[in-house]
Amino acid sequence: MAGRRIVVTGISSHWAGELARRLERDPRVELVAGIDTDPPAAELERTEFIEADIRSPVLSRLLPALEPDTVVHCGFLWYPAPGKPDRALHEINVIGVLQLLAACEKTPSLTGVVVRGSAAIYGSEGAAPFFFTEDMARRYPLKTRFQRDVGELERYFDNFARRRPAVSCCMLRYQPEIGPDIDTPLVGYLSLSLVPTQLGFDPRLQFVHSSDATGALEAAVRNPVRGAVNVAPSGAVSLSRILRMAGKPTLPIPHPLFGPALTQLGRQLRMGGTYNDGVRLLRFGRGVDNRRLREDIGYEPEFDAVGAVRDFVDKSKGRRLVGVPGPRTLADAVARRS
Amino acid sequence: MIEGARRTATEDGGGDRADAVAGFLRGMREGIENGLGPLTAARRAAGGLPESFRDALDRTAERMRGDYAEDEWGFDPEFADAVTPAFEFLHDVWWRVKSSGLDNVPAQGRAMLVANHAGSLFPFDASMMTAAIRLHHPAPRWPRFMVLNWAFALPFLSSFMRRVGGVPANPDNATRLLQQDELVMVFPEGVKGTGKPFSERYRLQRFGRGGFVEVALRTRSPIVPVAVVGSEEIYPKLADSPSLARLVGAPFVPITPTFPWLGPVGLIPLPSRWRIEFCEPIDLSEHPPEAADDSQLVFDLSEQVRELIQSKLYENLVLRGSAFL
Repeated sequence: MAGRRIVVTGISSHWAGELARRLERDPRVELVAGIDTDPPAAELERTEFIEADIRSPVLSRLLPALEPDTVVHCGFLWYPAPGKPDRALHEINVIGVLQLLAACEKTPSLTGVVVRGSAAIYGSEGAAPFFFTEDMARRYPLKTRFQRDVGELERYFDNFARRRPAVSCCMLRYQPEIGPDIDTPLVGYLSLSLVPTQLGFDPRLQFVHSSDATGALEAAVRNPVRGAVNVAPSGAVSLSRILRMAGKPTLPIPHPLFGPALTQLGRQLRMGGTYNDGVRLLRFGRGVDNRRLREDIGYEPEFDAVGAVRDFVDKSKGRRLVGVPGPRTLADAVARRS
Repeated sequence: MIEGARRTATEDGGGDRADAVAGFLRGMREGIENGLGPLTAARRAAGGLPESFRDALDRTAERMRGDYAEDEWGFDPEFADAVTPAFEFLHDVWWRVKSSGLDNVPAQGRAMLVANHAGSLFPFDASMMTAAIRLHHPAPRWPRFMVLNWAFALPFLSSFMRRVGGVPANPDNATRLLQQDELVMVFPEGVKGTGKPFSERYRLQRFGRGGFVEVALRTRSPIVPVAVVGSEEIYPKLADSPSLARLVGAPFVPITPTFPWLGPVGLIPLPSRWRIEFCEPIDLSEHPPEAADDSQLVFDLSEQVRELIQSKLYENLVLRGSAFL
C-alpha cells in the first residue's frame, strides 16, 4: 500500500471527487492525480488536477509520466447532459476508453485498473433473472445506446485484460445511485412533485446509496480483484413502494407515452436528449447479486435497497423539490419554440 | 318468523354501522378543519369505530407510507392475503377442489413441486395448489411459482404475479429461491402443456430439457410430483389463431367454446371439478450436486417424475368421475 500513485479520470464528477477526497486523506497514498476537461466539483487538498481530454492522444504521453500504479476510470458518462447529447456521450464513453487503455498499455508502472462501469450490460428485461450474477452479462441483446456503449467499454476492457495479464483489471458494474447530495436524472425523477409512472408496470429497482458507491470504489482501489463485480445494495424495492415512502402522488400513463413525457421533463431532470435507458429501467427494473462485492472485494454496503431509499427520502425532506411544469412554464416553452 | 327476526337484526346492525360511519366522518372533518393531515385526522376519528375498522385503517395508512414488507423478489404477503378470498372462492365453490397427500409437502425447508400444466387461456393450477396448501396444510406457507416469461413483460399481469409470489421461469431464479429454502412450483411442460388441444387433455407433453432436475440436484432439493386434474376443462382449447398470436406477440391464442366469441364473458372459466394429489417426495440427496452435469441421470429422473405424474393423473381422473357435476 505504501507510496501508492493513483490517477483518476473524470475528476469533475461527484463520485471521482469523493474518491479523491478519501484517498488524499490517506498518508500511504503518495499521489492522487485527476484528469478531466472540467475542474473538480469537490474541494480537494493535494489532488493534482490535470486538464486534459481523455479522447486526445496526448494522454499516452501524459499517463506514463505520472508513473501511476492504479488508474481509476470514472470518466464514463451515464446520462446525457444539456451540453452533452447522446452522440457526444458515445464519443466520450467509447473513444475515451480506447485512448485511455492505449495510454495504459504504454505505462509500465501500472499494476491495476478499476473502471466505474454500469449494470446496464445486463439490460432491463421483463422476464430476466431477478438477480444477475457477474457471469450473466449479455444474455439479452443490448437495446439502448447507453447499453451498447457499456457493451463496447467492457469488450475493450476485456481485450486489455487479456493482453496485459500482469495488470489486475476490475470492472465495477454499478446500479444507479441515489442520495441527497447527488444530481442525476433518476434522482431528479424521484424528486418531482407529481411522478409519472408507466401504467401497469411496477419495476423492482436497486439504488446504490451515494456513500456506498464511493465506499465500493475505494474498496476496489485498495483491494484489487480481477474481473467484473456488481455494485448494488442487498435486496430490491419496487418503484411503487419507493414513491409511497417518498409520499409522492403518481400519474400512471400508458407506457408508449412515457418516453416522450420524460423527454418533456428533461430540462427539469437536468438531462439533454432522450434517456432511453431510464425508460426501460422504469418499466422492467433490474436486480443484481452483490455477493462478489461483499465477499471478494470485502465491502459490506451500509444501506440495503430499502434503507438507501429511506435515507434519501429523510435527508431530502428539507430540500426544495422540483415541481411539475405549471401552465405558464409550458406556455413559455411553446412560445419559445414557435 | 325467522325471516322477520333476521331482517330486524340486519337493520339494527346497519343502523349501528351507519352511526359509526357518520361519527367517523364528522370526526375526520373536525380534524381536517383543525389543520391535521387527512391520514392523521382519519386515525384520530377512528377512535369511535369498531376494532376491525381501526385495524384496517391503520394498515391502509401504513401501506400508503410504504411501511410494508416486500421481499427481494417483490413478493408482498399482505397483498397476497388480500386477494386470497377470490382464490378461496374458486377453490371451494367454483372448482370444488379435493386435494390429497398434503403431508408430502414439507412444512419447512426447500422443496420443488413439479406439476402438470394446463388451462389454455389462463392457467390456474399454481393458484389452486397455493390455495390448497394455504387452506389445508398443517403448517401453511406461501409457495413461489415459475411464470411463463412472456407474461412477465405485460403490464398489470407482471406486477400482480410478482406480488403474489411469481417469478419468471428460468433456472437462475429457481436456484436462488431454493437456496433460500423456499417452496418452488415448476411446470416443466411450459407452453406445450397449456397450448395443447382439448382432445389431448391429460396427456403429458415433453418435460422441457430436464432443467428442473438439474436445479433440484444442484440445490439438493427433494422433488414433490403433483398431479392436477380439472385444469384441462376450464378453457377447452378447440383451435388456435396463429395470426392473432403474432399480432399480440403471445405464444398462442386459444379459441374456446366461449372465447373470443363472448368477449369478456368468455374469460370466465368453466366450473369443472378438480382433484390435486401431492405425491411422495423423491429424495435426491444420494446424488452429489455435480450429478447435475450427468445428462443421462437428469433425463432418467425427469422421465421418472413424468411417468409418475402421468399415472397419478389417470388414477385421479377415474376417482373424479364426471368432469362438471
